[in-house]
Amino acid sequence: MKISNLMNKDFKLVEKKKIWYLIPACIVAAAIVAMIIFGCVTGSPLNLGMDFTGGYTVNVKLSTKLTAATYNSYKDEIVEVIENLTDENGKPYGIKVSAVQSQGSNEDASIYVKYKAVASDEVMEDINTAVQEALQDKIFKIVPVITSENGTNYQVDYVNFPLVNSTYEAKVKEIQALATANGITANGFSLDDTGKIVTFDVSAANETFGTALAETVTISDKYSGQAQKGDIISATVSGELLTNALLAICLSIVLMLVYIAFRFEVSSGVSAIVALLHDIFIMFSFMAIFHIEINSTFIAALITILGYSINNTIIVFDRIRENVKSLYYKNSTATFIANQSIKETLVRSLNTSITTLITIAMVAIIGVPSIRVFALPIIVGLLAGTFSSIFISPSVWALWKDRKKKSPRPDHHEKKVKEGKAAVA
Amino acid sequence: MKKKSSIIKISIIGVITIIGLILSFCTFHIGLTTFKSFSSAIKLGLDLKGGVYAVYEMDSAEDTTNLSSRMAGTRTRLENLLTKKGYTEATVVREGTTRLRVEVPDVDDPGNIFDIIGKPAELKFVLNKADGTTEEVLTGKNVLSAEATYDAQNNNGYVVMLSLDNAGTEAFSKATSENIGQTMSIISTVDGDETVISSPKIEVAITNGQAIINGMEDLTAAQNLADQITSGQFEVKLSLLESSTVSPTLGEKALLYGVIAGIVGLVLVMAFLIWRYRMLGVVASMALLLYAALMLLFLAILPWVQLTLPGIAGIILSIGMAVDANVIIYERIKDEYRNGKSMLAASHAGFKKATKAIIDSNVTTIIAGVVLWIFGTGSIRGFALTLLVGILLSLFSAMFITRKLVKYFMTLLPESPKAFSLVRGKDYEQKAEELADSQTEMPIETVEVPQGEVAHENI
Repeated sequence: MKISNLMNKDFKLVEKKKIWYLIPACIVAAAIVAMIIFGCVTGSPLNLGMDFTGGYTVNVKLSTKLTAATYNSYKDEIVEVIENLTDENGKPYGIKVSAVQSQGSNEDASIYVKYKAVASDEVMEDINTAVQEALQDKIFKIVPVITSENGTNYQVDYVNFPLVNSTYEAKVKEIQALATANGITANGFSLDDTGKIVTFDVSAANETFGTALAETVTISDKYSGQAQKGDIISATVSGELLTNALLAICLSIVLMLVYIAFRFEVSSGVSAIVALLHDIFIMFSFMAIFHIEINSTFIAALITILGYSINNTIIVFDRIRENVKSLYYKNSTATFIANQSIKETLVRSLNTSITTLITIAMVAIIGVPSIRVFALPIIVGLLAGTFSSIFISPSVWALWKDRKKKSPRPDHHEKKVKEGKAAVA
Repeated sequence: MKKKSSIIKISIIGVITIIGLILSFCTFHIGLTTFKSFSSAIKLGLDLKGGVYAVYEMDSAEDTTNLSSRMAGTRTRLENLLTKKGYTEATVVREGTTRLRVEVPDVDDPGNIFDIIGKPAELKFVLNKADGTTEEVLTGKNVLSAEATYDAQNNNGYVVMLSLDNAGTEAFSKATSENIGQTMSIISTVDGDETVISSPKIEVAITNGQAIINGMEDLTAAQNLADQITSGQFEVKLSLLESSTVSPTLGEKALLYGVIAGIVGLVLVMAFLIWRYRMLGVVASMALLLYAALMLLFLAILPWVQLTLPGIAGIILSIGMAVDANVIIYERIKDEYRNGKSMLAASHAGFKKATKAIIDSNVTTIIAGVVLWIFGTGSIRGFALTLLVGILLSLFSAMFITRKLVKYFMTLLPESPKAFSLVRGKDYEQKAEELADSQTEMPIETVEVPQGEVAHENI
């Protein structure tokens, strides 16, 4: 990789500005087309996540204690039930569970599930009822291990599932009823410390009781019909937070423009902001074209790019500022100076982008899916930022500057200047 | 001698960096006190650590006109209260039509949620008239803001300052001007229990809409009352429905992979820098490690920071951004050396010229960060703070640490520019050969055409 060889090539980037402007224009156009298509097909041009749209929740109360091990199996089962839910005709509703959390601990633990609306509020009413019923109907049997030494003392082991008190008490009643039905009595019930093993005695050994016990102690429904009907919840990102964020972003862009205009020139400020808006538009376009879910992390990604992308642009403009003042370029056109400056800063523009890309790419490769949602738009924003600082903003600046000049200097003069520069550089 | 002092200084910075890294990741127990490592002291958001939640329900007696906008208003107030308390990653969402669900990260005890939100207090100002009757002058609804301060001017000790709205100002001014000499009771109601906070005597008419509650024990008591009054102004009366702990949505695996990604990213960036810039890359790597330790320290001690998974990704990203300044400086030094300066002179000029560009680019980012911090709410505020800390620390590491280290390393290896990946430009070499041929001594600094030198120094 000989980047230094590039330095000796005479590339006329600014002159090819039409090509550079065309690329982002095509991307944005593609995004608009994609948004129209998605808007017609799915009803939502952008794939907004629950943070923005809100959705529904269902709270699943459990009949067994929640442990790390049971939580994961419950979680998978619940997600499967909800996501595979179909209507009467067997057509899937297409519900996507967006978050699962456990609430509380031990006795009163429950599993709190959030999912996005897939239809209008009225239809969702029915779907929520269906979700509730599906969770209740779906039978996840817990069959305990029953041991008895002499037919009078029993031990019922629920192995992995510690019982909550209400379930334990209900089971005790059922066992007592079964014993009474068989003409014996059951007493001396106790639940061990782990909450998993029930022991009791019966007054006499009874074969019918022993056979029927297996069915009685089986917990037929882990959820015990305690799934609470889905309720609507609002967006996590409130309208106010969003408005504030957008206003703050606009204000910071304006202040950046003022600062750059003050430290450089108004033309540089405007060109830098054009580049910044370009990056933001490209990020939005990326999310629109691939219909990636936009959540509150996307705001964070936008802010990151807002702060970062301007840096590369300023490095180029810093060189332009220097070259404009330099005697070598006293009679050169802005286009020529812009080209020269891009060339001189190309290596550092690429190197700074590479180091930043390395880190965020690692996040995207190694991280879990939810962090990838944050990393992808950043990577796109970084690439867009590098592109715009090399190809867009200097040429916008040159366009602005040269338009004001009545008669641009002829080319042969520039060549002379360049030779002069080459001789000393 | 110079070499010796350079070695010592490099070692000092190296040792500080190593200590910083050890403190970042290792927790120590010395005697009975525990020194938490920086990384374990950082507060984590709901997605990584969970926290507590509480569901509030509107009192059924409440009238339902404009319910939606009033619930939204209450939600905003709760959000602002939580942000003010430093819980930028806390969330408040509406559940159904009459409930609000609050989730606060990094708190273990559900009971603590009330320490944070405060039990809503209703405030009443009741005038005790001369004829023995009482009259309600103000309620908490007339209060625009309540703040705890120390009133040194009137020797009142700690007080709660209330700003009243127009209606409140008018009523208060009328009541105080007509009843000088009488007392006015300030009554707060928490959970149905009425407490008379104080019953000051009306000395003068108060017409400026500023009421003061004095007689506070200390600042904490004043702050608590101020918070209670603020939460008592909610547009709807709320009562607690349920509260408990809530598990993280992502869990430990997400955090672990995030940390692994960060370490791999850091190592790759360091490898890239050393490959491109040799010894200068080593310098940048040292500065980067020190930056990482400092970043973790600041995140651990600053309020408003609760790291969520995107926050961690942001910090990893800041590692990449922190080396940008180094790259810019090194490229400048290479430019200067290419054009004929000696190593130390090139490094001096390189730093000088790069400073302007680095300051300009970072100030724009700082502008964005400050604006977002001032005007943003909730998570935006936390993110802006993280961004600001990152920029300031990377400026410090590039402008101070890197600058010193480059000087020391160059003093150490003055004869080997290649070790710093510095090469002379072709034109310079030709010139040097020509000059050598003509048996002329070549003073390094004067090889550049004077015109160019003038142009550069003018900047």
